[in-house]
Amino acid sequence: MSLRVMVIDDHPMWSEAVERDLAQAGYDVVAVAADGRQALARFAATLPDVVVLDLQIPAPDGVAVTAEITRQRPATRVLVLSASGEQGDVLAAVTAGATGYLVKSASREELLAAVRRVADGVPVFTPGLAGLLLGEFQRRSDAAGATSIGRPGEPQLTERETEVLRMVAKGMSYRQIAERLVLSHRTVQNHVQNVLRKLQMHNRVELTRYVIERGLDEV
Amino acid sequence: MVSTWASAAATAVEDRLLRALTPLRVILLINAVALNVYRADSFQRPLAGTVCVVAMIAWTGYAAWAYADARRRTRWLLGADLGLALTLLLSTPLVKGSGFNATVPGFWIAGALLAWAVHYRLPGGLFAGVLLASVDLVLRDHIQQSDYNNAFLLVITGSVVGFMCGSLQQMATERDAAERAAAMATERARLARAVHDGVLQVLALMQRHGAEHEGVIAELGDLAGEQEQRLRALIRAEDASGVRPAGSVDIVAALTRLERPGIVTVAVPAFAVDLPAPVAEELLAAARACLDNVRHHVGEDAPAWLLLEAFPDRVELSVRDQGPGIPEGRLDEAASQGRLGVSEAIRGRLDQVGGTASLTSDSLGTEWQLVVPREQDRTLRQEAS
Repeated sequence: MSLRVMVIDDHPMWSEAVERDLAQAGYDVVAVAADGRQALARFAATLPDVVVLDLQIPAPDGVAVTAEITRQRPATRVLVLSASGEQGDVLAAVTAGATGYLVKSASREELLAAVRRVADGVPVFTPGLAGLLLGEFQRRSDAAGATSIGRPGEPQLTERETEVLRMVAKGMSYRQIAERLVLSHRTVQNHVQNVLRKLQMHNRVELTRYVIERGLDEV
Repeated sequence: MVSTWASAAATAVEDRLLRALTPLRVILLINAVALNVYRADSFQRPLAGTVCVVAMIAWTGYAAWAYADARRRTRWLLGADLGLALTLLLSTPLVKGSGFNATVPGFWIAGALLAWAVHYRLPGGLFAGVLLASVDLVLRDHIQQSDYNNAFLLVITGSVVGFMCGSLQQMATERDAAERAAAMATERARLARAVHDGVLQVLALMQRHGAEHEGVIAELGDLAGEQEQRLRALIRAEDASGVRPAGSVDIVAALTRLERPGIVTVAVPAFAVDLPAPVAEELLAAARACLDNVRHHVGEDAPAWLLLEAFPDRVELSVRDQGPGIPEGRLDEAASQGRLGVSEAIRGRLDQVGGTASLTSDSLGTEWQLVVPREQDRTLRQEAS
């Protein structure tokens, strides 16, 4: 059975191009949406396996849509495809539950590979995103140290996870990392998955607040 | 520049101060009425005294209503307010005879004084103060120390309150202007974001189509890619350009500008990392030297990756390439022979700012690790202790 994909983008040129590429590669594009509201309605109707999503869409925005989709159906994977690559938004989307992030200038092959990997639950990180995550975990650990209250249950990265993330940020592929650390390819993927899991776990409470603030609970 | 006399913020300040003046007028009235009742036997003309007290009661009530609306605060109202206070002062010898101790209105005249200070600021406060004080002193046969003190207080109070009201109005007006400017800047930024996003989308699309074609279209695609990267770097740098502590540079924004599509990839945290300007300059120059080195020794279009990590006590910058690597000891050897190339350029710069530079190399590539110490954030340290 072919992969069921949904494309969310407010630029018709783009959604058509992405849709065509995906269809040619044998994926089943079950829905296309041009804004957040449409996206959530069509998502609920089609329940795709993968959502390819632009962050800058008419309200509710891509971050909010990501949060809502992963809340409704954790099995659906979200791949963020962003043109502006605004740091804060990308970090927010991944924290909200996206499994992968790609800049729009990525090639057709990169996009198709990313969709495939995200569908398998393998995180798709650009080096830039890995850098953002390293910064985010460092910021959290600084904050925890500064308040000296030490929040129990605050997920911290293990040394190995930090090491792997650092290598991703330096442009190494999972295969190269496996070779450098003498680990299996699968183990490296597990480490990266753990990084995402820890990032998203911490944010569940804040996420709920975010969704309520943006009025998504009434959609 | 908006006049501070007429701005909405100035009127709001005046409204607030005059609202606060109403209860004060009532207290002054109660005090004045009570004192007059208590000293009623000193009235030589009780009827005239009663008229004065009734006038004070009536005017206090009217003033509370009249001053509440900015449109009613005309010079006639202010004039009548001060005029009545002066009239009551002047009527004291008629009511009490020439040898009186206390005037009929007493401190009640402060209501008119403060209204003048609030409405006409320092000049108004000074004018009303001097006028009331002079009339009070002129009426007396013998000026005692306490009379002079009271007169002096009237003048000072009028001036000080007038000055403070003027300052408050000016501050409120400036704050309003600043808020408006900030709101306009935010709106401009929002519009710019929408435009930027559209341009980026088109550039990315062109780049993507270009990659699937050859010739002119492919060339256009490459150009679009370059411009996309530049615009994105510009937006990121602009987003990061908030208020910087004096003499410091956001190294994140600076490094972002080194990005080149498909060649140099920059990974940084989502927040600004401020370094003293000299440290940031050396680190940046060292990073450029590393990238030049990659171009020279690995290839013009050889990919390189920059990773910046900010720790409380230091900043680490890694520059990695996938080149063949440098045999161990080669760099030290070159340096010791006086052929100071890369080693001098990079290590020397880091030395100057108290940092370190180290090089590792293996089959997967070559990596410079540049570390500069960072002055710990003072508030962070205080909170930790």
